[in-house]
Amino acid sequence: MGGLLELEGLRRTFGTVTALDDLSFDVPSGHVVGFLGPNGAGKTTAMRAVFGLTDLDAGEIRWSGKPVGQAERRRFGYMPEERGLYPSMLVGEQIEYLGRLHGMDAVAAARATRTWLERLEVEDRSKSKVEALSHGNQQRVQLAAALVHDPEVLVLDEPLAGLDPVGIDAIGEVLVERAQAGCCVLFSSHQLDLVEDLCEQVTIIDHGRLVVAGTVDELAASGRRRLVVRVEGDRAADWAQGLPGVSVSEVDAGAARLVLADGVDSDRVLRQAMAAGRVTEFSFERRRLSEVFREALA
Amino acid sequence: MNLVLIGALVVVVAALRLSRARRRRRQGSSAPVGVGRRLWAGATASLGDVGLVAQREIRERVRGRIFKVGTLFILVGVGAALVIPKIHIGTAPSESVGVVGGGPLVAKVLDESAKQSGTTVRIVPEQSQTAAAHALRAGRIDVAVVDGRRILVERPVGSSSTSSEAAFVDALAPDLGILRAYEAAGLTGAQMVQLAQARPVPVESLQGGASKGAAKGTSVIGIVLLFLMLTQYNSWILMGVMQEKASRVVEVLLAAVRPIQLLGGKVLGIGLVALGQATLIVGFALAVGAAVGSDLLKGTGPQLLVSELLWLVLGYAFYCWVYAAAGSLAERQDQVQTLVLPLSLPIIIAYVFALTTAETGNPSLLFKVLAYLPPTAPFAMPVLVGLGQVTWWQFVASVLLSVAGTAAMAWGAAGIYRRAVLRSGQRVRLGDVLGASARRRKAPLGAS
Repeated sequence: MGGLLELEGLRRTFGTVTALDDLSFDVPSGHVVGFLGPNGAGKTTAMRAVFGLTDLDAGEIRWSGKPVGQAERRRFGYMPEERGLYPSMLVGEQIEYLGRLHGMDAVAAARATRTWLERLEVEDRSKSKVEALSHGNQQRVQLAAALVHDPEVLVLDEPLAGLDPVGIDAIGEVLVERAQAGCCVLFSSHQLDLVEDLCEQVTIIDHGRLVVAGTVDELAASGRRRLVVRVEGDRAADWAQGLPGVSVSEVDAGAARLVLADGVDSDRVLRQAMAAGRVTEFSFERRRLSEVFREALA
Repeated sequence: MNLVLIGALVVVVAALRLSRARRRRRQGSSAPVGVGRRLWAGATASLGDVGLVAQREIRERVRGRIFKVGTLFILVGVGAALVIPKIHIGTAPSESVGVVGGGPLVAKVLDESAKQSGTTVRIVPEQSQTAAAHALRAGRIDVAVVDGRRILVERPVGSSSTSSEAAFVDALAPDLGILRAYEAAGLTGAQMVQLAQARPVPVESLQGGASKGAAKGTSVIGIVLLFLMLTQYNSWILMGVMQEKASRVVEVLLAAVRPIQLLGGKVLGIGLVALGQATLIVGFALAVGAAVGSDLLKGTGPQLLVSELLWLVLGYAFYCWVYAAAGSLAERQDQVQTLVLPLSLPIIIAYVFALTTAETGNPSLLFKVLAYLPPTAPFAMPVLVGLGQVTWWQFVASVLLSVAGTAAMAWGAAGIYRRAVLRSGQRVRLGDVLGASARRRKAPLGAS
């Protein structure tokens, strides 16, 4: 397993609404990529385009350098936002059926179905109808349906929505594991803290256009440097006021969060703090993904 | 007796199925095994994804309670239509006839008269006319015959009387008169027996030997079944497509297979279930009809049934595409309701026309035209077959027109399905998917 999913120059309009506007980004194998954006940004449309579920006005989707067609899509796994299972069909039969539609033979599909239902801890519901399952279990079954044929590319639209912490952990673990096995994993979510924990890379889009893309580490380290400084006995952080190139963004229980302009020497800030009292904390702070997201869309 | 045999057969089949199901459960397998399954797997494998979709449709439909109960209901109905008339004939009224003298020829004449009047006769020997009259008044006998020359009844038999006794007396009186005439002519006993055995010569029709009544009965039953089954299977297609769209499972399916494969598999699967059910019903009708000697399956009856089976397949093949396209336009029950009536209209019109024509036995020119139009031919053509008013080439022409109409309908429906099934929200208008301006107005499914 190994390859690169490339979305290049995707354009799609619905009447007067532009859903995708020259959108381009890549999803490499072996990585979990978080696909972020506000509601209506075009995430679902882009994901559906990967599976040919929406026509494109322009652009191309490639897998390992070749345009994605029916044969490639059979090796992809998809979990749509609004889910998609036969409500009155038995869980086990349904997963097996979807595996076979992706090209597996009957024996392999049955074996993989058992494996994934066990892995996602819903094997005891194999003979139940989907409609009889709880929301969380339906979500697990839906993920099993996307995974049963061991896809090379996994595209999941809001897979964690509405799950309890245990369910989030279980599904998150599987996504990371699949990426480590060489799968190319793209998933959308509005739960930014979870995305930060699960993903190595994120792609943020808005109004159908790419806004930011990169590794979580790069994005966290990007932008202005941030310092957290705590001086014993100084709860108001008066010492930091008036420092050239330094702005105080927040003071919380004696800990001052400072934003440094380009070229400001952090040693000078430390000396200034030491002059005000004993320094009990002095550290650089990474940006949270939520901050990156807000700044990107500002 | 026949009923007992049929009942026993049903019990044996049910017991065998139960036993097989238990054996499979003991073996811990939920799927049937064996040659049949391997053959079936091979057949569906050769069809690829279409076969897989069809296989799922068949399994889900046959497993459904509606299908099982519906099939049983139809079988019971067909069985009743074939058996009840025979039971009615088997319990023909019996006349008790007191006989005073007359000899063996009188007894023979009594039997013949009973057959003519649709009754049976029980002969009660009486010693004298007085004894016979006494038995008549006491109600022990219905009719008395004295020396083959007089008939006694308790009450006068009017010409307008419709009782079995009146019919019997009406037949008996001339027969005894003829017997007397034979005696008066001085015929010997052997000659009189020979004359008494005279039978009318058969009247042969150039268009087959079925009675009009039997052909009409078979035709009407066939039309009703055709209507019920076509309506049911079309509804499966309509609801099946709509539910796949509503549950969004169509997104997951179309991520793996092409729309035409999904639609083709659904149509094929439900079509095979329909054919299987119809074949079962026709086979059951033929078996029960043969067992009870039903008049409905005499003459053109069997060929009418086969013709109806063929037209069920052709009718399904034509309408399934229409209903599939309609199903792809809707995603809620109330949206489906608005589609059902206009779609059902041609079927209802053809059904009413066919029933009326089968009843009158006199097809109009319009009806003959309907027999060549794909939407109405499934109902009209079998009626013409039943009435013997169609030649083989007319039949073939109608089939070819139906096949051509089906091909055109499939092409159009596949296009509508492909464009509409992934569009959600409000009901998709036909004009939206047919019009060129609609190419770029597809609403995103939950676009974010």
